[in-house]
Amino acid sequence: MNKKKFFTHLKNNLTKLPHEERQEILQDYEEYFAIGQLDGKSEEHIATSLGSPKTIGKELSAAYHLEKAETTGSTGNLLRAIWAVIGLGFFNLIIVLGPFIALVALIVSGWVTGIGFTAAPLLILLNPILAPGTFELFDLFNSLALCGLGLFISIGMLYATKYFMNGFIRYMKFNGKLVKGGLTHVEH
Amino acid sequence: MNVQFKKGVLNLCVLVLLDKQDRYGYELVQKISDQISISEGSVYPLLRRLTKEGYFTTYLQESSEGPPRKYYKLTDAGRAYLHEQLAEWRTFTDGVNALIKEGVQE
Repeated sequence: MNKKKFFTHLKNNLTKLPHEERQEILQDYEEYFAIGQLDGKSEEHIATSLGSPKTIGKELSAAYHLEKAETTGSTGNLLRAIWAVIGLGFFNLIIVLGPFIALVALIVSGWVTGIGFTAAPLLILLNPILAPGTFELFDLFNSLALCGLGLFISIGMLYATKYFMNGFIRYMKFNGKLVKGGLTHVEH
Repeated sequence: MNVQFKKGVLNLCVLVLLDKQDRYGYELVQKISDQISISEGSVYPLLRRLTKEGYFTTYLQESSEGPPRKYYKLTDAGRAYLHEQLAEWRTFTDGVNALIKEGVQE
Protein backbone atom coordinates (compact mmCIF):
# COMPACT_ATOMS: atom_id res chain seq x y z
CA MET A 1 0.00 0.00 0.00
CA ASN A 2 1.37 3.44 -0.84
CA LYS A 3 0.76 6.74 0.90
CA LYS A 4 -2.04 7.80 -1.40
CA LYS A 5 -3.95 4.59 -0.86
CA PHE A 6 -3.44 4.77 2.88
CA PHE A 7 -4.95 8.24 2.98
CA THR A 8 -7.85 7.31 0.73
CA HIS A 9 -8.80 4.44 3.03
CA LEU A 10 -8.30 6.53 6.14
CA LYS A 11 -10.44 9.39 4.79
CA ASN A 12 -13.19 6.97 3.80
CA ASN A 13 -13.45 5.84 7.38
CA LEU A 14 -13.44 9.32 8.86
CA THR A 15 -16.36 10.75 6.90
CA LYS A 16 -18.61 10.90 9.98
CA LEU A 17 -16.24 13.23 11.80
CA PRO A 18 -16.43 17.03 11.68
CA HIS A 19 -14.09 18.66 9.18
CA GLU A 20 -11.72 20.09 11.76
CA GLU A 21 -11.29 16.83 13.63
CA ARG A 22 -10.63 14.98 10.38
CA GLN A 23 -8.06 17.53 9.23
CA GLU A 24 -6.21 17.21 12.51
CA ILE A 25 -6.02 13.45 12.21
CA LEU A 26 -4.87 13.57 8.59
CA GLN A 27 -2.28 16.16 9.55
CA ASP A 28 -0.88 13.82 12.21
CA TYR A 29 -0.40 11.04 9.68
CA GLU A 30 0.96 13.46 7.06
CA GLU A 31 3.58 14.49 9.58
CA TYR A 32 4.34 10.87 10.30
CA PHE A 33 4.94 10.09 6.62
CA ALA A 34 7.06 13.21 6.10
CA ILE A 35 9.36 12.49 9.04
CA GLY A 36 9.54 8.80 8.17
CA GLN A 37 10.71 9.66 4.67
CA LEU A 38 13.35 12.03 6.06
CA ASP A 39 14.39 9.05 8.15
CA GLY A 40 15.06 7.18 4.90
CA LYS A 41 11.99 4.96 4.86
CA SER A 42 9.91 4.29 1.78
CA GLU A 43 6.24 5.26 1.59
CA GLU A 44 5.35 1.61 1.30
CA HIS A 45 7.29 0.68 4.38
CA ILE A 46 5.72 3.45 6.45
CA ALA A 47 2.20 2.62 5.30
CA THR A 48 2.67 -1.06 6.08
CA SER A 49 4.02 -0.49 9.56
CA LEU A 50 1.19 1.91 10.38
CA GLY A 51 -1.27 -0.95 9.97
CA SER A 52 -4.75 -0.96 8.50
CA PRO A 53 -6.05 2.58 7.80
CA LYS A 54 -9.55 1.16 7.94
CA THR A 55 -9.10 -0.04 11.52
CA ILE A 56 -7.44 3.21 12.54
CA GLY A 57 -10.27 5.25 11.02
CA LYS A 58 -12.98 3.18 12.67
CA GLU A 59 -11.35 3.41 16.06
CA LEU A 60 -10.89 7.14 15.81
CA SER A 61 -14.54 7.54 14.78
CA ALA A 62 -15.83 5.37 17.60
CA ALA A 63 -13.68 7.19 20.15
CA TYR A 64 -14.88 10.57 18.90
CA HIS A 65 -18.58 9.68 18.96
CA LEU A 66 -18.40 8.03 22.36
CA GLU A 67 -16.80 11.09 23.85
CA LYS A 68 -19.38 13.29 22.17
CA ALA A 69 -22.29 11.19 23.47
CA GLU A 70 -20.84 11.35 26.94
CA THR A 71 -20.37 15.11 27.02
CA THR A 72 -23.60 16.19 25.32
CA GLY A 73 -25.97 13.30 26.01
CA SER A 74 -28.32 13.95 23.10
CA THR A 75 -30.16 11.06 21.46
CA GLY A 76 -28.62 11.73 18.06
CA ASN A 77 -25.13 11.60 19.48
CA LEU A 78 -25.93 8.42 21.38
CA LEU A 79 -27.19 6.73 18.20
CA ARG A 80 -24.11 7.83 16.28
CA ALA A 81 -21.89 6.45 19.03
CA ILE A 82 -23.72 3.13 18.99
CA TRP A 83 -23.38 2.94 15.25
CA ALA A 84 -19.64 3.68 15.41
CA VAL A 85 -19.01 1.12 18.14
CA ILE A 86 -20.92 -1.50 16.19
CA GLY A 87 -18.66 -0.69 13.24
CA LEU A 88 -15.69 -1.94 15.24
CA GLY A 89 -16.69 -5.53 14.69
CA PHE A 90 -19.42 -8.06 14.15
CA PHE A 91 -19.30 -9.22 17.75
CA ASN A 92 -20.39 -5.77 18.84
CA LEU A 93 -23.49 -6.04 16.72
CA ILE A 94 -24.76 -8.59 19.21
CA ILE A 95 -23.43 -7.32 22.48
CA VAL A 96 -24.18 -3.65 21.82
CA LEU A 97 -27.33 -3.69 19.74
CA GLY A 98 -29.03 -6.48 21.73
CA PRO A 99 -28.91 -4.81 25.15
CA PHE A 100 -29.72 -1.47 23.54
CA ILE A 101 -32.96 -2.74 22.00
CA ALA A 102 -33.95 -4.36 25.29
CA LEU A 103 -33.21 -1.15 27.15
CA VAL A 104 -35.19 1.00 24.73
CA ALA A 105 -38.13 -1.41 24.97
CA LEU A 106 -38.07 -1.14 28.75
CA ILE A 107 -37.91 2.65 28.68
CA VAL A 108 -40.69 2.94 26.10
CA SER A 109 -42.98 0.63 28.08
CA GLY A 110 -42.30 2.65 31.22
CA TRP A 111 -43.27 5.86 29.46
CA VAL A 112 -46.39 4.33 27.92
CA THR A 113 -47.55 3.17 31.35
CA GLY A 114 -46.85 6.56 32.92
CA ILE A 115 -48.57 8.57 30.22
CA GLY A 116 -51.47 6.12 29.95
CA PHE A 117 -52.19 6.31 33.68
CA THR A 118 -51.92 10.08 33.68
CA ALA A 119 -54.45 10.36 30.86
CA ALA A 120 -56.96 8.02 32.53
CA PRO A 121 -59.41 10.72 33.89
CA LEU A 122 -59.55 12.27 30.46
CA LEU A 123 -60.54 8.97 28.93
CA ILE A 124 -63.19 8.42 31.60
CA LEU A 125 -64.70 11.82 30.79
CA LEU A 126 -64.68 10.89 27.12
CA ASN A 127 -66.55 7.70 27.89
CA PRO A 128 -70.08 9.18 28.39
CA ILE A 129 -69.72 11.09 25.13
CA LEU A 130 -68.95 7.97 23.18
CA ALA A 131 -71.33 5.71 25.11
CA PRO A 132 -73.95 7.76 27.01
CA GLY A 133 -75.27 6.35 30.28
CA THR A 134 -72.11 4.45 31.26
CA PHE A 135 -70.63 7.17 33.46
CA GLU A 136 -69.97 6.21 37.06
CA LEU A 137 -68.35 8.29 39.79
CA PHE A 138 -66.48 5.22 41.00
CA ASP A 139 -64.65 5.09 37.66
CA LEU A 140 -63.82 8.75 37.85
CA PHE A 141 -62.24 8.51 41.32
CA ASN A 142 -60.41 5.41 40.33
CA SER A 143 -59.00 7.16 37.30
CA LEU A 144 -57.92 10.16 39.38
CA ALA A 145 -55.90 7.82 41.58
CA LEU A 146 -54.35 6.30 38.47
CA CYS A 147 -53.54 9.80 37.22
CA GLY A 148 -51.53 10.53 40.35
CA LEU A 149 -49.72 7.25 40.06
CA GLY A 150 -49.04 7.95 36.37
CA LEU A 151 -47.49 11.31 37.22
CA PHE A 152 -45.15 9.63 39.68
CA ILE A 153 -44.19 6.98 37.12
CA SER A 154 -43.52 9.65 34.46
CA ILE A 155 -41.29 11.64 36.78
CA GLY A 156 -39.47 8.44 37.72
CA MET A 157 -39.03 7.62 34.03
CA LEU A 158 -37.45 11.00 33.43
CA TYR A 159 -34.67 10.11 35.83
CA ALA A 160 -34.52 6.49 34.76
CA THR A 161 -34.10 7.43 31.10
CA LYS A 162 -31.18 9.72 31.82
CA TYR A 163 -29.59 7.21 34.16
CA PHE A 164 -29.94 4.29 31.74
CA MET A 165 -28.52 6.24 28.81
CA ASN A 166 -25.45 7.29 30.79
CA GLY A 167 -25.02 3.73 31.97
CA PHE A 168 -25.21 2.52 28.42
CA ILE A 169 -22.43 4.85 27.29
CA ARG A 170 -20.26 3.52 30.09
CA TYR A 171 -21.13 0.01 29.00
CA MET A 172 -20.00 0.77 25.45
CA LYS A 173 -16.71 2.15 26.68
CA PHE A 174 -16.17 -0.92 28.81
CA ASN A 175 -17.14 -3.07 25.86
CA GLY A 176 -14.60 -1.25 23.70
CA LYS A 177 -11.88 -2.16 26.15
CA LEU A 178 -13.07 -5.73 26.49
CA VAL A 179 -13.61 -6.67 22.90
CA LYS A 180 -11.04 -4.78 20.98
CA GLY A 181 -8.41 -4.37 23.63
CA GLY A 182 -9.48 -0.77 23.83
CA LEU A 183 -10.62 1.61 21.20
CA THR A 184 -6.97 1.85 20.39
CA HIS A 185 -6.24 -1.67 19.51
CA VAL A 186 -2.75 -2.93 18.95
CA GLU A 187 -1.97 -5.76 16.67
CA HIS A 188 0.85 -7.14 14.68
CA MET B 1 1.44 -11.13 22.12
CA ASN B 2 -2.15 -10.75 23.25
CA VAL B 3 -3.90 -7.60 22.02
CA GLN B 4 -5.51 -6.42 25.28
CA PHE B 5 -2.26 -6.90 27.04
CA LYS B 6 -0.33 -4.65 24.71
CA LYS B 7 -2.98 -1.98 24.76
CA GLY B 8 -2.59 -1.33 28.46
CA VAL B 9 1.16 -1.41 28.15
CA LEU B 10 1.16 1.05 25.27
CA ASN B 11 -0.60 3.59 27.45
CA LEU B 12 2.13 3.30 30.04
CA CYS B 13 4.93 3.40 27.44
CA VAL B 14 3.73 6.73 26.06
CA LEU B 15 3.36 8.25 29.53
CA VAL B 16 6.81 7.05 30.58
CA LEU B 17 8.46 8.43 27.43
CA LEU B 18 7.01 11.89 28.08
CA ASP B 19 8.02 12.12 31.71
CA LYS B 20 11.48 13.63 31.16
CA GLN B 21 10.98 15.46 27.89
CA ASP B 22 8.39 16.48 25.33
CA ARG B 23 8.41 14.37 22.18
CA TYR B 24 6.67 14.33 18.79
CA GLY B 25 4.50 11.52 17.52
CA TYR B 26 6.98 9.88 15.19
CA GLU B 27 9.62 9.83 17.88
CA LEU B 28 7.23 8.21 20.36
CA VAL B 29 6.20 5.54 17.89
CA GLN B 30 9.80 4.72 16.94
CA LYS B 31 10.94 4.55 20.55
CA ILE B 32 8.18 2.09 21.37
CA SER B 33 8.46 -0.03 18.25
CA ASP B 34 12.22 -0.36 18.81
CA GLN B 35 11.34 -2.34 21.94
CA ILE B 36 8.04 -4.04 21.26
CA SER B 37 6.23 -4.90 18.07
CA ILE B 38 3.13 -2.75 17.65
CA SER B 39 0.89 -1.60 14.87
CA GLU B 40 2.36 1.88 14.59
CA GLY B 41 -0.83 3.56 13.46
CA SER B 42 -2.56 2.82 16.74
CA VAL B 43 -0.36 5.17 18.74
CA TYR B 44 -2.02 8.29 17.31
CA PRO B 45 -5.54 7.36 18.41
CA LEU B 46 -4.09 6.77 21.86
CA LEU B 47 -2.34 10.15 21.83
CA ARG B 48 -5.56 11.86 20.79
CA ARG B 49 -7.53 10.19 23.54
CA LEU B 50 -5.03 11.03 26.27
CA THR B 51 -4.83 14.62 25.01
CA LYS B 52 -8.62 14.95 25.12
CA GLU B 53 -8.69 13.51 28.61
CA GLY B 54 -6.32 16.30 29.67
CA TYR B 55 -3.18 14.26 30.26
CA PHE B 56 -1.19 15.95 27.48
CA THR B 57 -1.05 19.32 25.83
CA THR B 58 0.38 19.75 22.34
CA TYR B 59 2.32 22.47 20.57
CA LEU B 60 3.87 22.81 17.11
CA GLN B 61 7.56 23.39 16.71
CA GLU B 62 9.53 24.06 13.53
CA SER B 63 12.29 21.60 12.75
CA SER B 64 15.48 22.06 10.77
CA GLU B 65 14.11 19.78 8.06
CA GLY B 66 10.65 18.74 7.05
CA PRO B 67 7.31 20.01 8.37
CA PRO B 68 6.73 21.50 11.83
CA ARG B 69 6.31 18.80 14.42
CA LYS B 70 3.53 18.38 16.95
CA TYR B 71 5.05 17.88 20.38
CA TYR B 72 3.26 16.24 23.28
CA LYS B 73 3.76 17.53 26.80
CA LEU B 74 2.68 15.81 30.01
CA THR B 75 0.30 17.89 32.19
CA ASP B 76 0.14 17.66 35.98
CA ALA B 77 -2.86 15.40 35.64
CA GLY B 78 -0.86 13.32 33.18
CA ARG B 79 2.02 12.99 35.59
CA ALA B 80 -0.31 11.87 38.37
CA TYR B 81 -1.84 9.35 35.96
CA LEU B 82 1.64 8.10 35.03
CA HIS B 83 2.53 7.41 38.64
CA GLU B 84 -0.75 5.67 39.23
CA GLN B 85 -0.25 3.46 36.16
CA LEU B 86 3.35 2.79 37.06
CA ALA B 87 2.42 1.62 40.56
CA GLU B 88 -0.22 -0.66 39.05
CA TRP B 89 2.27 -2.05 36.57
CA ARG B 90 4.82 -2.81 39.27
CA THR B 91 2.35 -4.63 41.48
CA PHE B 92 1.20 -6.59 38.46
CA THR B 93 4.65 -7.60 37.19
CA ASP B 94 5.88 -8.42 40.70
CA GLY B 95 2.96 -10.77 41.07
CA VAL B 96 3.51 -12.43 37.71
CA ASN B 97 7.26 -12.73 38.30
CA ALA B 98 6.66 -14.35 41.67
CA LEU B 99 4.40 -16.91 40.01
CA ILE B 100 6.95 -17.58 37.27
CA LYS B 101 9.72 -18.07 39.79
CA GLU B 102 7.59 -20.49 41.75
CA GLY B 103 6.14 -22.37 38.82
CA VAL B 104 8.69 -22.68 36.03
CA GLN B 105 11.42 -25.27 36.31
CA GLU B 106 14.90 -24.04 35.56
